[in-house]
Amino acid sequence: MINNIETYLYIAVFLFAIGLYGVLARRSLIAVLISVELMLNAAMINFMAFNRFLAPHPAVGQICALFIMAVAAAEAAIGLSIIVAIYRKMKTINVEHATELRG
Amino acid sequence: MKVLLFGPELYFLGMALVLFILSLRRQVNIRIDHQVALGFAAGGVVVASACLFQQGELFFAAYRVDLFSQIFKVALALGLFLVLMISHNLAHIDDRYHAEFYLFLTTCTLGLMMLVSAVELLTIYVSLELSSYSLYILVPLRRGDDMDIEAGVKYLFIGAVSSCFMLFGLSYIFGATHSTYVNEVMAKMPELVQSPIGIMGLLLTLAGFFFKLSVFPFHFWAPDVYQGAANQVTTFIATVSKAAAVAVLLRLVALGEVYGFGFTQALWILSIVSMTLGNLVAIVQKDFKRMLAYSSIAHAGYVLMGILTLSEAGYTAAIYYAVAYLIMNFTCFMVISEVANDGRNLQIVELAGLYHRNPLLGLALMLGLFALAGVPPSIGFTGKLLVFTSAMKEGYFWLVLVGAVNGTISLYYYLKVVYAAYFLEGKELPAVHIGLSTRALSYALILIIIGFGVFPDRVVELARVAVKGVLL
Repeated sequence: MINNIETYLYIAVFLFAIGLYGVLARRSLIAVLISVELMLNAAMINFMAFNRFLAPHPAVGQICALFIMAVAAAEAAIGLSIIVAIYRKMKTINVEHATELRG
Repeated sequence: MKVLLFGPELYFLGMALVLFILSLRRQVNIRIDHQVALGFAAGGVVVASACLFQQGELFFAAYRVDLFSQIFKVALALGLFLVLMISHNLAHIDDRYHAEFYLFLTTCTLGLMMLVSAVELLTIYVSLELSSYSLYILVPLRRGDDMDIEAGVKYLFIGAVSSCFMLFGLSYIFGATHSTYVNEVMAKMPELVQSPIGIMGLLLTLAGFFFKLSVFPFHFWAPDVYQGAANQVTTFIATVSKAAAVAVLLRLVALGEVYGFGFTQALWILSIVSMTLGNLVAIVQKDFKRMLAYSSIAHAGYVLMGILTLSEAGYTAAIYYAVAYLIMNFTCFMVISEVANDGRNLQIVELAGLYHRNPLLGLALMLGLFALAGVPPSIGFTGKLLVFTSAMKEGYFWLVLVGAVNGTISLYYYLKVVYAAYFLEGKELPAVHIGLSTRALSYALILIIIGFGVFPDRVVELARVAVKGVLL
């Protein structure tokens, strides 16, 4: 049950769906950021699963996963700094207050 | 001498380091910051041009240097230089952050340069993120109202989600083909498109790139970001990053070539909707930058038209159109940042009487807009002509028809701006003074717009040689 590729692919799709739902439904920017990280992790699980069960070369998927981790860390840093900046200006991190641009 | 292959990238990496050191100084001197950045960028154009005819592969064949990539590198270096030329007056960015502003523009250019050479999926992803992250920081750098930060948040989260989609797609492509090299993926394409997982992967990956190109239905971020970001940053996003996106799309769509009908049909629909929607919404815009944002959505549709023909002529036309778009769009943005010299957002009515407030800028604006609308004998006309004829040759009659109708619609709102600049008096508005460098730049742009419109042969020939390497 555990030791086949389908299980991992289903987990990844499930995680991705949770993340997407979070991005669309949550109003707090921190929660949105966490949801984005979930989606990245889903992709990472995919890479590892394909690497474990299918790939002829055992390292490629792992390298991808490592790169994604580093990139996700950079993304979190930028996201958090922008959230801090928005909090300083608006005193809130709720996306519903960001509605000045229209058209 | 493999180092030389990596020359332009190394140069811009060094430039980024110098600017990083500059940004650490305690005493700020914005003149020196600008001059250093401009000097280095000029050197970058020279280095990129010197490396134009390099050939080779680097990093376990993850990175290909050929004429195609080198042409785009020259265009990118040139774009950065042009954007820095109009950055002499960054009224809306805090003095302390000027060096950082140049730094992130440089890292973004570096990322885009790596992007056009990358032929391996992970490399493409990392260089795409390098350029996007720089832009995420640049957009909220503007000071003043809350508009910038809102644009920054929107850009960041929409961008992050779309790159998640792309990554998820890439993981499926990796799973279905067991490889991350573009050419190996390409070889397995016929079996890939038979399996649902392969199609999912391909579609999700392309979605990420369409976001960058702001093609429908991933266009909604563009107007907000254009309006919210500082004028110079908008210029960069609208010109330089667009050119790179076209380059990557060309490389990747060559992947879908074997798939044939269904794939081109999807692009066909995207192209038509993108053109029509962009043009129709642009008509009602009052903010000049926002109008250009919607027009850029329309232009993405024209470029797609060249790409979806999957022919040598179509690809050549798409490259020509991308470079031409860089030049003509830049011309309009140069006028914006000179007229709105305090960094405000420019309304179209504020251009009233530009013909007597500054005749040269008025002329440049008119030619830039004519080129965008595709009026002969500008480069925009030649670009549209090449794209349309290539699509016609492949039998896309209805697509060309829609494109031509769209060209006419777009003429309406471009001419509205020309009307404001030439036929409204605008007596109460002050004259616009421009420096020597801007004056020289205006003359150069006018010459390029007319010159390469009338004599496009050499650029087209160069693009054709470059395309041969990609199509294989």
